[in-house]
Amino acid sequence: MNELLRIENLHASIGGKEILKGVNLVINEGEVHAIMGPNGAGKSTLSAVLTGNPAYEVTAGKVLLHGEDLLAMEPEIRARAGVFLSFQYPVEIPGVSMTNFMRTALNEKRAYEGKEPLTPKEFLTLMREKKKLLELPDKLNNRSVNEGFSGGEKKKNEIFQMAMLEPCLAILDETDSGLDIDALRIVAEGVNRLKTPQNASIVITHYQRLLDYIVPDFVHVLADGKIVKTGDKTLALELEEKGYEGL
Amino acid sequence: MKVSRGDIFEQVFVDESVNLHLIQEAGSRVKIHLINFSSATNSITIEQAGEGCETEIYALAYLHGEESVTTETHVKHAVGGGKSNQLIKFVLDDKARGRFIGDLKIVQDAQQTEAHQTNRNLLLSDEAEMRTQPQLEIYADDVQATHGASTGQLDESALFYMQQRGISKQKARQLLVNAFMKEVLDSISDSAIRDQLLNTIDGVVE
Repeated sequence: MNELLRIENLHASIGGKEILKGVNLVINEGEVHAIMGPNGAGKSTLSAVLTGNPAYEVTAGKVLLHGEDLLAMEPEIRARAGVFLSFQYPVEIPGVSMTNFMRTALNEKRAYEGKEPLTPKEFLTLMREKKKLLELPDKLNNRSVNEGFSGGEKKKNEIFQMAMLEPCLAILDETDSGLDIDALRIVAEGVNRLKTPQNASIVITHYQRLLDYIVPDFVHVLADGKIVKTGDKTLALELEEKGYEGL
Repeated sequence: MKVSRGDIFEQVFVDESVNLHLIQEAGSRVKIHLINFSSATNSITIEQAGEGCETEIYALAYLHGEESVTTETHVKHAVGGGKSNQLIKFVLDDKARGRFIGDLKIVQDAQQTEAHQTNRNLLLSDEAEMRTQPQLEIYADDVQATHGASTGQLDESALFYMQQRGISKQKARQLLVNAFMKEVLDSISDSAIRDQLLNTIDGVVE
């Protein structure tokens, strides 16, 4: 199996406060890894650091994506190299239409891969096709990015963007929060359909519920900035029953 | 200059200093756009002298280097039942300076007036400077009047969100600045002028 991501002894802080205190994790192609843990354990920090959020500082350790130094790359290069974050709180961008935003993103990625930009017709056909996957209405194309979207629409819109960009590593940061059961099912089915033997995902969640739909190969428990336990999907059930204190 | 009863005065001024004094007669409409990409001084004085007038003033200044724009608006509702709306935006890069003086007066007899004044400014550099001086004098009691002014920087979380989708930081800035300016240009009625200016800002935003 080919290695996709390797995290070694990763330490990171925000505002001088250390949040990640030595994370180690290896993800191979085709795998789904769930990361669970109590509030404040560092789950969102891990996703922020992997994607290059400038608010966080890496103080030690390394991260390799397909053997290359991920931490040396600018955030947009990481994205073009295939790291995708489904944001816990997707950002509203007034005045920038979904179409313009998505076309710019997709064509920048294609340029990075040495491909020609899509023609407007090809692009719109692709948008329509991927929208169906998430049961998103066409009218969203002309709206500003995430502006006035409901909580469920925002999360679906994240997975829609993932479908458009076809990342090799998708990080889903509490994608289940704020979703009703129908939206959860649509989002999870979207994620499952995007799964290939070459890509992988990291599913960050508080609850077992999402993992009924997106079945992980591994479950990791992150506590106080470190992975303290790793198991298979039954670990999530155990956590649901006993809580994190029961470990 | 008088805008006669029921007439419409509509004009887009691009890259010039404008000094305009209009007296509106009943039922007349005024719609002005001031678009500045280099140093200028604008002074717009409007008096609604008849009933049921409408006034719209839009201003956009996008400045680099050491350029500076001062825009003054003096809007007086002397008679009731009128409407005025002002949207004033400055985008300041490098050491550019912007100044907005917005003087809005509603006299005691001008009941049932609706007046709005909004000033939004975007600073793209630490050395750019914006001064805003709104002056509101409202003597009538049965009116709807709103006023707002804010000066800020590009939304860091929006920039990061776009970068996370593979859009370069420079391109992300460009999209946000264009979106900010577009709100003013979208209100231009003449589609040829509007499209030309939209193309211009696509070209000048770095």
